[in-house]
Amino acid sequence: MLFNSIEFLLFLPTVFFLYWFVFKNQLRAQNVLLLVASYIFYGWWDWRFLSLIIASTFLDYFIAIQLGKTSISKKRKLLLGISLVGNLGMLGFFKYYNFFVASWIEAWSSVGITMEASTLNVILPVGISFYTFQTLSYTIDVYRKEMKPTKSFIDFAAFVTFFPQLVAGPIERASHLLPQFYKNRTFEYQNAVDGVKLIIWGMFKKVVVADNCAFFVNKIFENPEVYSSGELFFGMVFFAFQIYGDFSGYSDIAIGLSKLFGFDLMVNFKFPYFSRDIAEFWRRWHISLSTWFRDYIYIPLGGSKGSQGFQIRNVMIIFLVSGFWHGANWTYVVWGLFHALMFLPLLLFNVNRSHLITKSYGWLDFAKIGVTFLVVCIGWVFFRADSIADAFQYLAHMLELNSLGLSLFYKTNANLMIFGLSVLAIGILSMQELVWVIKKRELPKISAFGALLLVLLIFFMGSFKNQMDFIYFQF
Amino acid sequence: MKKFLTKIVLYTFFILLIGNGIAWLSLYFIGKSNLYKPQFVKNGVKEKHFDYVVLGSSTGLTTLDTKLIDEKLKTKGLNISMDDSALSSHYLMLQFFYQQQKTTDYLVLAVTPWDLANENPVLNNNDYRFLSERNTTAVREYYQTIPYEGFPVLKYATYFPLVGVSYYNTELFYPSLFTILKPEKRNRFDEKGNYSYPNLGAPIQAEATTTAMQFNNPYFKKIKDFCQKQGITLVLYQSPLYKNSVKSNAKDYFVNHSDFISVDSLFYDNLHVNSLGRTQCSEDFAVQFNTIRNANRK
Repeated sequence: MLFNSIEFLLFLPTVFFLYWFVFKNQLRAQNVLLLVASYIFYGWWDWRFLSLIIASTFLDYFIAIQLGKTSISKKRKLLLGISLVGNLGMLGFFKYYNFFVASWIEAWSSVGITMEASTLNVILPVGISFYTFQTLSYTIDVYRKEMKPTKSFIDFAAFVTFFPQLVAGPIERASHLLPQFYKNRTFEYQNAVDGVKLIIWGMFKKVVVADNCAFFVNKIFENPEVYSSGELFFGMVFFAFQIYGDFSGYSDIAIGLSKLFGFDLMVNFKFPYFSRDIAEFWRRWHISLSTWFRDYIYIPLGGSKGSQGFQIRNVMIIFLVSGFWHGANWTYVVWGLFHALMFLPLLLFNVNRSHLITKSYGWLDFAKIGVTFLVVCIGWVFFRADSIADAFQYLAHMLELNSLGLSLFYKTNANLMIFGLSVLAIGILSMQELVWVIKKRELPKISAFGALLLVLLIFFMGSFKNQMDFIYFQF
Repeated sequence: MKKFLTKIVLYTFFILLIGNGIAWLSLYFIGKSNLYKPQFVKNGVKEKHFDYVVLGSSTGLTTLDTKLIDEKLKTKGLNISMDDSALSSHYLMLQFFYQQQKTTDYLVLAVTPWDLANENPVLNNNDYRFLSERNTTAVREYYQTIPYEGFPVLKYATYFPLVGVSYYNTELFYPSLFTILKPEKRNRFDEKGNYSYPNLGAPIQAEATTTAMQFNNPYFKKIKDFCQKQGITLVLYQSPLYKNSVKSNAKDYFVNHSDFISVDSLFYDNLHVNSLGRTQCSEDFAVQFNTIRNANRK
């Protein structure tokens, strides 16, 4: 079920009504309701994949119980290993099996050996990378004795499948979200109002910013060789805003929806396009994933301690894994590598944390923001292109500066209008976020009048006809 | 909770009121303009009776030049074709045309074999252009009965214009802002309803084929019945198709131009002729149409 669908428009009030009116003050019943609602929400795409979530839930629930019962190190390691193999095996099979088989054959064929291997027609279950990481965080935290295993299967299953963030995050830590299922939740007016405003802001980002930009992005990336340098430049920038509007819009909606049910989710984006360097960008972009990698991979590897060589190795691993997490294509790996290469100089010169020293923004900061944005945009070309060769071709063609013509954007009345809407939407988003960045806010703060205005903008600027799925569903 | 729900209801009501108000105004201004064909037929066409009207999709719109035909035959014609439409929309347009108290002796129905063969017609891409005329019986009935692929936007837009204007915002809302300033502006057609493709483009090479017309589309029968009821003589017209010869056993008058043009440079693409091709087709059509008229008089 999509957040921006008619079904969800009926689903949400129904669950809200049952939650706060029928099962008010009945914690267990509320959790059962959330679990059932989440299964319906997920099963709406393909009910068969519910079995994967249920399997993953059972696996980690029982492993954690066993972890809680034993202090024998060997046994604990074995249990953790079972969880890792089970979860990552499932993820690997559904997400990477065909990719590995194809890459294997291709590698051999490059040295003249022809191999035959069958690929499977595997459909990627929506959100598998998100809920797999969420359940893994639970088992790892229990293994590290940072939290106690829950005895309630319902609470744990509701935590794994919590519908607002099930398919595209934020990837919640068990230590943050799971305890919220244990406590009685009372309706708080201000919390709910903030939630509604966040949902509206998220919808604006998705339907107005991302979906309008997508109209041109799809055209340009499908056939980049026929477009001018100017059009390719806009294609790249539009994709930067498409993916930001799409993904952070989803996160805002997820956080807002959670607030309606009395839950608090972690902030996933902090206006990342106002970063002054790549290190800051990664502290502002997809925070739930980058901190997951930091806590469960980077730090166990040694983090930024040890020799420079060690540090470089850890940074490369973390960025490559992060790239690969996004999808089974070498383009994502190159995207990760690109970001690692942009990050390393900051680490080596020990300036990767300089942005943490809070100060007001000056002209130099805005110049840095512009440069960082361009670097991020170049990275997005690898992320969006179908192959590495396509990405290089795109960039080469763009930098040729053969023509700065923008005829694509005014070829028809419809194109001109959508171009205007895209630019206007990006302008509204950027100006609003600039205000929040200067005021050092972490989350959007919208007045009642602003929210009403946003709803009208969604109606009259939204791209409903060219509605797109959320990009991160495919991950 | 009570305060929250009260505010949600109030704000929702307020937003829907404002949104529907803006949408209603938007449709009002479009309804007063000549922007799309339905509004042009209602506001821009002053004559009440025509010798013939050309009705079809983009092939009808861009192949038969009613100005040229009228010049040759000293007739009064009008092109009420609408691009990206199909027989269901043509039927709606014909009904709408008559509901505007306009009449015609001949209906030149530009058809395509695949549209005629379609047993299950659904809403067409440009049917939203009738939305400002949603209060006429024909449009209202059409929006209520035509099958939709996905959410029936226009069905609900009959009562809540916001649904339609929001969904088709680039086609309705923004153009409506222009119509406030320039109500006489027409969207890519001349004062007789014609449009031509420029002498650019080229067809994509294809194998020569033959297609037999099959009259399965229920709206074809509806159009025929309507013509019979109103005393209109129906003339079927098949525009040139690149290397595709259309055969028909229709009992109606039929001007078949499917293989009339064989020169690539007269095509805009595989389905449409360019401006030069249009002139050739219109001239030949005038001759054949005159023969039909003479035969019909006897």
